[in-house]
Amino acid sequence: MLKEVLKEIKDSKYVSKTSIAKKLNTTEDVIEQIFSELDRMGYIREDNAKSCNMKCKGCSFASLCNKVPINTVMITEKGEKLLNK
Amino acid sequence: MNTIALVGNPNSGKTTLFNALTGSNQRVGNWPGVTVEKKEGNIKYKGQIYTIIDLPGTYSLGSFSEDEIVARDFILKGNPDVVINVIDATNIERNLYLTTQLLEMGAKIVIALNMIDEANAKKIEIDVNALSKKIGAPVVPTIASKKKGIEDLVSKAVELIHKNADFKAHISYGENIDREIENIKTVLKDANLDYPADWVAVKALEGDQYILKKLEEDHDLKVSNLLKNLKDKIGDFELEIIDKRYEFINNITNEAVKFPEEYIETVSDKIDKVITHKILGLPIFALIMFIVFELTFAIGQDFLGGYVGTAIEILGSAVENLLISLNAPDWLISFFIEGIIGGIGTVLEFVPLIVVLYMLMGILEDSGYMARAAYIMDNIMRALGLQGKTFISMIIGFGCNVPGVMSTRTLDNKKDRMIAILINPFMSCGARIPIYLLFISAFFPDHGGLVLFSLYFLGIVIALLIAKIFSKTLFKGESSYFIMELPPYRFPTVENVLRNMWDNVSEFLVRAGTTIFIVVAILWVLAMLPVGVEPYSQSSILGKIGTFIAPIFAPAGYGTWQAAVGLFSGIAAKEAVVAILGMVYAGVEEGTALVTAIQSAFTPLSAVSFMVMTLLYTPCAATLSVIKKETGSTKWTLFSALYSFAIAWLMSVIVYQVGNAIGLG
Repeated sequence: MLKEVLKEIKDSKYVSKTSIAKKLNTTEDVIEQIFSELDRMGYIREDNAKSCNMKCKGCSFASLCNKVPINTVMITEKGEKLLNK
Repeated sequence: MNTIALVGNPNSGKTTLFNALTGSNQRVGNWPGVTVEKKEGNIKYKGQIYTIIDLPGTYSLGSFSEDEIVARDFILKGNPDVVINVIDATNIERNLYLTTQLLEMGAKIVIALNMIDEANAKKIEIDVNALSKKIGAPVVPTIASKKKGIEDLVSKAVELIHKNADFKAHISYGENIDREIENIKTVLKDANLDYPADWVAVKALEGDQYILKKLEEDHDLKVSNLLKNLKDKIGDFELEIIDKRYEFINNITNEAVKFPEEYIETVSDKIDKVITHKILGLPIFALIMFIVFELTFAIGQDFLGGYVGTAIEILGSAVENLLISLNAPDWLISFFIEGIIGGIGTVLEFVPLIVVLYMLMGILEDSGYMARAAYIMDNIMRALGLQGKTFISMIIGFGCNVPGVMSTRTLDNKKDRMIAILINPFMSCGARIPIYLLFISAFFPDHGGLVLFSLYFLGIVIALLIAKIFSKTLFKGESSYFIMELPPYRFPTVENVLRNMWDNVSEFLVRAGTTIFIVVAILWVLAMLPVGVEPYSQSSILGKIGTFIAPIFAPAGYGTWQAAVGLFSGIAAKEAVVAILGMVYAGVEEGTALVTAIQSAFTPLSAVSFMVMTLLYTPCAATLSVIKKETGSTKWTLFSALYSFAIAWLMSVIVYQVGNAIGLG
């Protein structure tokens, strides 16, 4: 399942966890969890625009920052290696 | 006394179940050596007392947190007589991951299939018998919040205490790993471990740092050799093991659970096919933004605009009358009426439009459309050889360039980051809106949406062009490749939309009362000095500063000292431009509306040229200071201030001169 998710990320123009869940016949929560696992193991890197390394609390510009972070995913070298195996 | 442990994912209803089981008969303490809370209580069933231990909520039983280690150590070392695994039935697949790990441990488990009512409401059909058969453990549907199924659950748990059964899941992790497990088990046969050897084998192959450390401490030569051999293999084995667990879960749910067809998925997919279309995506994005700006004017100006203007007028008269009745000196009256009301009041007149604009932007953001917009732009930026992710920081820049510049921290390499920082100020922030609105009111009242749209669009085009030039000259190199995530569409909630609007508007109001107030106060003093000079005249210090700068802007069509000081003050804060124009024009001809003064000082062409200048020129002080912080370089901060001024001036001059040449002047 993890490799399939990785392959889906690689083959898609954009990442839709809903579509991947549907395609792999599972739920979005499971895909969410798999993304976290892949990120933890270093196969992908998940990122969102809020991760500026600063805590929103205490940042005087937090109210002007985006409320709904736009996430991006990158397949790392380790992930690419696995896919090419 | 027999012990029953409760284990489950966070939010699975485990604590509610614990409370339902034990009532007020609870004790709270800490697990030894850690700060994790330990809760235990007693229950009486058929005359016997049982201890219930509530283990920390956790998604898995690895060693990534204290909670996980506490939970698994208790199950493996504390030897509970039975473990109740609380599963959130609405999220059964995810919760079964923990179950699979319990089965790997060989723990005696009973499943509390909690929140079964909510699962039914969500049309998730669970065949309890099939589930029990596939897992190999009793399954009891419960609704802990309503205390339903509790007695049955306790009865099954107690029954199990006295039963000898094999609960170990026989998951095959593939030929390679299974062989490795057997090898490790052989080596560990004589090792002094607190854990079952086969479980340790799986954990070691998974790269569990806690277990690997325990093995290292064993000092056995065979174990040391084993660890050396394992090091290179661990990475891929971990993935395989987790993969097999999911396969195991999938196998269970395929037979025992039926999920409803989610309508929203198909709708989302269908919409995305059109909205993110290769050719149609961009025109649709442009059209949506155009509609947003048109609606801003239709609602903000036509419906609400007049009220704030009238309120400020009434306030102005009231303050003036009050000051006169108090025999206040002329300079004080001038400061309040021309400086504060004429300056800051002018800025506040545009608040209704800003309210509407941010509400509409909030709807786009909350619905998930902004992620699509970023995706569409990502494609274009990639085609230009740029990092697509930059557009996310550009979207944030539409609100304010300061967080826009900060958000470039998510970009990987220096090249992408420097480009993103340097182009962010071209994104038209909220503070510049009053300037556009003032000139639109004066010259283009019927085409407000189109003018605003064109300015935002111009900002994006200039940013992309400059980014392309920078990536070919100053910052060469490869961009990293990111894939945008598109979340499902959802209906924007009133609460989120209002909060988004209020966050932006309140920030705007706070700045009007602080930064702009200070700028206006300082420049008001300069407009009054030297003593005896005609206030707000060209002979005042402010007038002289403006006159000195003004010739620079003559080729752009607005070489007046008032326009020059307006732009100058905008480097402190962009909102100050309108406030200062309000102050200097209101001061000269008392009672003259700023819009009328602007109409006589500018032409429609020089107004466009001025708006282009304010869109593109030197970032405000707050943005420059964050650029300095993010780049760590005074050189690049100065570069940002100067190159954007040069580009703005050039564009402004081009607009004015070309416009004149083709007869628009």
